[in-house]
Amino acid sequence: MWYIWDLSILLSALSLVIMLFLIARRVLQERRGRATADQRRQILTALIAFTENRDREALKTTVLGVPAGIAIDAGFEFIALLRGEERDDVLVAFNECGLPARIGRQLRKGNVAERIHAAEMLAALASDDASASLLAALAQDRSREVRIAAAIALCDLGSLPLLGTALDFIGVAGQRSRRLIELFRRFPRSRFNELAVHASRVDASPLIRAAAIDALARAGGFGFADFFAGLAGDAAPEVAAAALRALGLTGHAQALAILKRAMENDDWDVRAAAAESAGRLGLPELAAPLSTLMDDEVWTVRYAAANALRSFGQPGERLLREIASAEVSRSQRTASLILAEGPAL
Amino acid sequence: MIADWSHEVVLAATILSWFIIGAGLAQTTIYLLQLVVAGYALSKRPPVARSALLWQRYGDVAPPIALLVPAYNEALNIVESVHSMLALEYPNFEVVVINDGSKDDTLLRLIEAFRLVKFHRPYEEALAHQPIRGLYSSPMTERLFVVDKENGGKADAQNAGINVCRAPLFCVIDGDSILEPDALMRAAQPFIDDPERTIAVGGTIRIANGSRIEAGRVREIHLPRRLLPLFQVVEYLRAFLMARLAWSSINTLMLVSGAFGMFRRAEVVAVGGFTKGSMGEDLDLVIKLHRHMRDNKRKYRIQFIPEPVCWTEAPETLSVLARQRSRWQRGALECFFRYRSMLFNPRYGRVGFLGFGHIFIVDVLGPVAEVLGYILIPAFWLLGILSAEYLLAFTALIFTYGVCVSVCSLILEEAELQRFPRARDLAVLTAAAVIENFGYRQLNNFWRVKGCWQFLRGNQGWGEMTRTGLGGAKK
Repeated sequence: MWYIWDLSILLSALSLVIMLFLIARRVLQERRGRATADQRRQILTALIAFTENRDREALKTTVLGVPAGIAIDAGFEFIALLRGEERDDVLVAFNECGLPARIGRQLRKGNVAERIHAAEMLAALASDDASASLLAALAQDRSREVRIAAAIALCDLGSLPLLGTALDFIGVAGQRSRRLIELFRRFPRSRFNELAVHASRVDASPLIRAAAIDALARAGGFGFADFFAGLAGDAAPEVAAAALRALGLTGHAQALAILKRAMENDDWDVRAAAAESAGRLGLPELAAPLSTLMDDEVWTVRYAAANALRSFGQPGERLLREIASAEVSRSQRTASLILAEGPAL
Repeated sequence: MIADWSHEVVLAATILSWFIIGAGLAQTTIYLLQLVVAGYALSKRPPVARSALLWQRYGDVAPPIALLVPAYNEALNIVESVHSMLALEYPNFEVVVINDGSKDDTLLRLIEAFRLVKFHRPYEEALAHQPIRGLYSSPMTERLFVVDKENGGKADAQNAGINVCRAPLFCVIDGDSILEPDALMRAAQPFIDDPERTIAVGGTIRIANGSRIEAGRVREIHLPRRLLPLFQVVEYLRAFLMARLAWSSINTLMLVSGAFGMFRRAEVVAVGGFTKGSMGEDLDLVIKLHRHMRDNKRKYRIQFIPEPVCWTEAPETLSVLARQRSRWQRGALECFFRYRSMLFNPRYGRVGFLGFGHIFIVDVLGPVAEVLGYILIPAFWLLGILSAEYLLAFTALIFTYGVCVSVCSLILEEAELQRFPRARDLAVLTAAAVIENFGYRQLNNFWRVKGCWQFLRGNQGWGEMTRTGLGGAKK
């Protein structure tokens, strides 16, 4: 039993010694912190002055006069507030001060948060060797978050490798992240076909295929309508739902038949997506299947169907009133709720 | 004959002492293991990115969130709290305040402050709750909805909020708590990084007593001036930074605090929402989520991340704290016995063995064994039944290991997070981490045993939680 006592004394004493050391460290940090805050203030003052007088040399003198880490942190927070020529001028000054080299080092040797930030800063600075550093990070970094950040930065610089290659580098776990949606949304129009190829890959993650479809629908327009129509019957419900929502944005000659078929799908997300798109496209021919969907077992589907009917204008509202005044049922309740939505009279 | 009798007494005392020391040893071992796992998890965790960067990075892909705020007799703070919630930094969220049949002016204050008007909003009646008397919206902001319902308790109010909200994620928060401006963005991060598997995320609750609060924001962090809340600061550090981080890193987190937790709505609806009338509705929900996901053989993550911070007011009087701790103890026991079939059940893997094993040792056996120890071990030693060895072992488990665990939690906080702004605060907290083991810990265990007794007697009362208000106004 003695060892319980001895060990407890040893561990407690050790913990107190470590804590005292940390308190002493904190006292030193507090002193250093004041100096850092002063230097940060200097940089921000110089940047504000630069936006007024455009004196690049004065800005460079200040940037070179403080530790590079502080210049990078404070500087990039500030330039997030700038746009256009003003921003470009600050970036030129930063490039001339050699900050990209320092950021490149941060991308290789910093902690995860610093490496992600470094990737974002390199994309903003667009220096000559930025792409090479980012490609190395995409291929070799240990963290998937950093690899995704590098891919997004490369996309902004127009240097992203083929999508398939980039996704291979990002890895399977990374392909579960919603951050890829952002990557796809930044994709250049000239490379949309790569997104389309990825969206069609049955072996890819449904979440990512859906994200690719969404990005194409937002920026690709009607040119991809046939492609979306083809994917509306996909076996993966997420993909089919995304394709149906995309069709709701672009429209399609066969939309009526496609949506009608989708409204009978086993998956509720697909049925809801079909109802939403019917409403967005304004297809009163689908009023009958939509009324059937108002009796769906899933609230989201019922709500989407009722909203779609309401978006048809007077004919839809008339139909909703008829349903609302019929015998008590799920559809009757949904119709009453939708008709009552809004401020109480 | 006397010799036989004394032999039996010694044997019984020894067995009892072994049970008490064994329970203490098991508890201490768990704490020390948690410290090691939490230290490892913190060291592997990427340092915190600044708020402005988070917004740029995640703003476009952040999922919609509904902030559910159950309010019962919160007239004192509610308007200020709602203002601060509406000012949170998140691109897509709505605040749903649920007035749970308050007897005071909670609803009236909201109506006046936000010019609320009655509003019809279709919603799914997925979860049962007391009738809703009316829904209100504000012409001042599209983000605010108020649900006025008949009183049914916190879980019932949260269920009503879940029904009314439309976002795929919801965040529960107490009406008198204050969220850091970027808390939603940070808590949403796991849902962005791994949207398919993440079903719940908990953040850190910190004590705001003593801090300077203005317009629903913590402007300056200070330690509480009174001893009781100061001890609770150390306690909360232990609970969040050590225990929850450790369990989260092995996907065995059993509790996402009801004061601040984010959940995926679909899964919560699938398990029937919060259990009405439960003393520990937050613990109950997380256990149900574990059970549901494991029963359905689905991959999932319930995560704790230390950064999203929610500030709350800690009880400053012994009577209020006693009621709170007894209630927490009843909640833990209620959940343990309700879901006891999960204990050491291989079907539930590490949740059954580690998560439930932890509740069994720390919440079921722990307080009873410790309070028995306070009385019996010194008595046995004084009567000469036990040797000094036993007394020292028990003393070590209660006091010296207690000091070690509390100080180590503080070490984790300082080494990895550094959220206390001044070196002087650390010195004060270190002193508190030592002193709390001599008196406060014993008192706490006494309240917990009282909670056990109330549980056995079927006492279901919540007790009154008297608040002074974080803004400093007196109730």
